[in-house]
Order: sequence, then C-alpha cells, then structure tokens
Amino acid sequence: MSIFQAKRYRIKEVLPQTDDNVMLRVKTRLNPQPGQFVEVSIPGVGEAPISSASCNNEFLDLNVRIVGAVTEAITKMKKGEQVHLRGPYGRGYPMDYLRGKNIVLVGGGCGVAPLRGIIEFIDKHRMDYKEIYLFFGFRSPADVLFKDEIDDWSKKYNLNMSVDKAPEDNPFNCSVGFVTKLLENAELSTDNTEVLTCGPSIMIDKCIDILKSKGFSDDKLWESYERHMKCSTGKCGHCMINGKYVCMDGPVFRHDEVKGIDE
Amino acid sequence: MGRVLKKEDYKSFLQKLKKEAELIAPVTTDMTRFQVVDNVDDIDLNGGNPFFPIKKYFLPNEEPLLIIKNGLTKEIKQKPKKRIIFGARLCDINGIAIMDKLFLDHDYIDEKYARRRDNTIVIGVNCLAPPSEYCFCSSMNLQKDNCDLLLHERETDYYIDVLSEKGAKFIKHLPEEEFYYSLPQTEKRLGKKDLWPYFADKHWEKDSDLCVSCQRCTILCPTCYCFDMYDKVNPGTKNGERMRNIDSCHSKDFTEVAGGHVFRDTRLKRYRHRVLHKVQFFEDKFKRSMCTGCGRCIEYCHSKIDFVTTINEDFK
Repeated sequence: MSIFQAKRYRIKEVLPQTDDNVMLRVKTRLNPQPGQFVEVSIPGVGEAPISSASCNNEFLDLNVRIVGAVTEAITKMKKGEQVHLRGPYGRGYPMDYLRGKNIVLVGGGCGVAPLRGIIEFIDKHRMDYKEIYLFFGFRSPADVLFKDEIDDWSKKYNLNMSVDKAPEDNPFNCSVGFVTKLLENAELSTDNTEVLTCGPSIMIDKCIDILKSKGFSDDKLWESYERHMKCSTGKCGHCMINGKYVCMDGPVFRHDEVKGIDE
Repeated sequence: MGRVLKKEDYKSFLQKLKKEAELIAPVTTDMTRFQVVDNVDDIDLNGGNPFFPIKKYFLPNEEPLLIIKNGLTKEIKQKPKKRIIFGARLCDINGIAIMDKLFLDHDYIDEKYARRRDNTIVIGVNCLAPPSEYCFCSSMNLQKDNCDLLLHERETDYYIDVLSEKGAKFIKHLPEEEFYYSLPQTEKRLGKKDLWPYFADKHWEKDSDLCVSCQRCTILCPTCYCFDMYDKVNPGTKNGERMRNIDSCHSKDFTEVAGGHVFRDTRLKRYRHRVLHKVQFFEDKFKRSMCTGCGRCIEYCHSKIDFVTTINEDFK
C-alpha cells in the first residue's frame, strides 16, 4: 500500500469555534500523542497537516483554521461525512518524561489546540503530574477557542488567559495584552518544572527569552514548530530546517536542539 | 572476478539487452540525453555526461501517487516496466544510492520508487577521463557497487565488473578475467570541510547575488529529490489524481506556511540551504555527502556560480 494512501473516517460532530476556526470531531482510534499531527484531506481538493487537539481512543478533535482552499473545504464538512486521514506523524510532547514534574503550557491562538490534547492527557493521568499552569492568549474575546472548556480548566488548573485587545466586551474577564506579559508577571519556580509552548514563532521566541530570564535552562523548554509538512514521511523537503525534518524529528523540539537556528 | 566483452561483440550485447527490457541509454541529438533506445546504433557513450541525470527513471518529474475517483483515493495498480539503464556514470549511479536512503527508509518505504528500483538494471560506464572540466567526483568518495554491471573500456574490449546477481545473468557466457581499474581522477576537487562555522559567512552573498532562482541546478542534480504534492482534478468531476511533482528549494514558496509566511524569505537563505543540504546536512545524518560531484549545477548555471570554489577558497 502506498504510504500516501489515507483512510476514511466519519465526522461525529462539527464544533464551530470562531469566525475562522472550526473543530471537527472524527470517529477514529488513531489516537495521536499530544503534539503529533495527521494529514487531513479531501480528495480533489488537497491535504493539510493538522495537529491533534485531543487524546483518546474514541475520537480525534481537529481544530482547523481557515487559511487556504484545503482548510476552507475541510471546515465546510458536515456531521456524518467522511474525511480522509493519514498518520499520526511526528514526535509529540514528551509526556512520559514529564511524569512527576510541574508543567507550564503556553499557547497562542490556534497553538492552544495541540495543548488541549496535553490537558486531556493530564486529565486522565492527573496523579502522574504535579502543578499545571496554563498561559493562553488569543487575539480578542471573539477569537477564544474552546470557550466551553475555559471554565473547567480554570477550576482544575492554574489558568492565566489574555486577549490582545477587547474592543467591546470581555466576557472572560481575562487580562488584556499579550500572553507574554502574563508570563512575564507570573511567579514561576524553575524547580522540577518544564514548559511546553505552541503558537506563532514570534510568541515562542519572546516566551523563551522571558523564561530564560526567569532561570529556566534550554533543556526545560519545549516548542512546537510550524512548517508545511507535505509528505510527512521525511522526504519532500518542505519542512526541513537545516537538516532537521519537522515532520519526523519534530514538530516538538527541546529548545537546546534548535537553539539559535537560522536558515 | 569480471568478464570481458570484445568490441566486435558490443553491438550484439546491446541488442540482447534491448530484447530483455526497455533499454535507456545516452543518445545524442541536439545534446546528449538518456532516452529510450530504438536502435542500438544511436547509443553514444562519447557525448559527455548526459544533460539530465538518471533520477527521473526512479523519481519522475511528475507522477500520480493515487487515483481520485468520486471523491475517494484509490491505489494505482500498475506493474512498472522492466528497464535497463545503460551508460550511466558513477555520479548518477551514486545519486540513486543517495535517494535510496530516503525513499527506501524502512519506516516509510516509497512504494513507487521501490518498485522502479526493483525493476531496473543499471549498467554503468567508468569514465576514463572526466567528461567535463566541472566534474569533481573524485573528491566525493563515489562507490561503484551501486550498479549491477560496470563497463571499463580498454583498447580492444570492455572489462565488465560484475556487481550484482541481477547483472551477472546477462554476461555469464563471456570469458572471465580479474582486472583492476581505477575510477576517474578529476582535477577539480571539493575540499572536505565542516561548514557549520561558515553558516553566516559573507561569501554566501557573493554567490547568491548571482543566483536568479532559475532552479536549473536542482532540476539537473542527480540527487535533488524534493517534491510537492497536490490534487489534480478533471474540471466538473470528482475524479483526478493526487500528484507528486518535483519541486525546488530555490522557489520562494517552498517554505510558505498557512497564512503566507515564508521562512526562507531571501535568495541567500534559499541558496545556502541547497548547498548546505548537499554537503553538510545530509552528511551529518547519513555520513556521506549528498553531492556526487557531477558538476552539472556549475556547468549549466546561468551565472556559473561555483560553490566548490567558494567552499575551497573563500571559507577560511
């Protein structure tokens, strides 16, 4: 069988998130690990790499942001229709290694989606992890993803949320400004603590600067890289950064593996 | 132990090959290219290194990966042709060995590539002298055991080095001989150097300023395998093909991601990436250079950009 052949899975639910984000809940046992991704396709339109936003054996949540023809077509799919998936691919967040540690999750925009998979994983293995801190930033209250879960997260974990701006109202009563500011003002102990980030590269870079100034060493910081993975099997070359294939060596890297990387 | 083919039997040997399978060999028209041979008299081993490398017979410029029918993807059931590639030089043959590292990677074996590899016999020719002043293969540690047979021309005959079982069966009838021959020695050489310290060197700019991103170097490279994938649909239907097209890291949109951001946004970054992928990144991972020293990327470059000279002379 061709390594590019995808299998069909039924959409259980369509969960619209924001104006440009739709989450599909797909019935599948693929169960990617947090941080891994799948190639989602509609034959005749094309393929797009999408991170897993869940972590269970019954379904797979795919938060899709509309950025082009393929993602637009995917978000127009309806409950009961079938979507093509292949994968999962890549190296996710090191959940086993993180057992017994405090975890800080920092996410921006649709970068929060893969972190939601981590939260689901931690929910199931809560005793294995210590304190959990969440720092999530969105553009505006209207852009907040997983609105129904925010309340639950704030009860269970130490949630810090911000919106870049709140032109009208701010139903979440969260702070206004960049998430990096929240992180800057937070009192975080570096003791037995690791930080997992996902979001725009400019946000990740800033977060890393802040965390390092707080005393975190490079090997305690984990970041997820964004690239356009086309084959996802370490061949096509599109996601390669200086010899590292984001699709196979990543997308999650420990900061010291990619530190100072220029391309 | 090899075999000996007399020059007077050369033509009948080629005819025999042609009967066995589709025969591909260098033919000179306006220039010398590998092509399917109709008449063995057309084969020309003296026309220099053919313009295009043999990679297209394993990784075509464009090919369907899956059939799309009524909105579903289906496997392509097609037996690849049995082929014999005759007259490839060691640079191209080593190029295939390099592509094998990725396309026959055990985790994700590329089925189409693998089938073509299984169904193709490669008969090489040893260069007695470098076919071009741009060749620098003798500095690239080329191996001869990546082909099935290798011909070495002598005054009145060809010594045929037998390098695989598949190849051996064609020449069982020929007399045996033990003979040692040397691989071509090129005047031009690429000095072995760790290039990481030169990542930010200003001389990259000297070369990239001359580059016009025409992508000739990647098209003509025996090991440039990067590809794009997209769906091609017949208008008004849900039928078509999921395609693979050869792509080039020199194109600006090669590293474009959702939302339009381009990571390698300058020509310098793209130029440096290609050169470093060839001679540093691949070496780091697979312990061999991805460049085979064929020199095509320099010889046919629009601006005759010569990364070998830059590495040898400017990176000090």
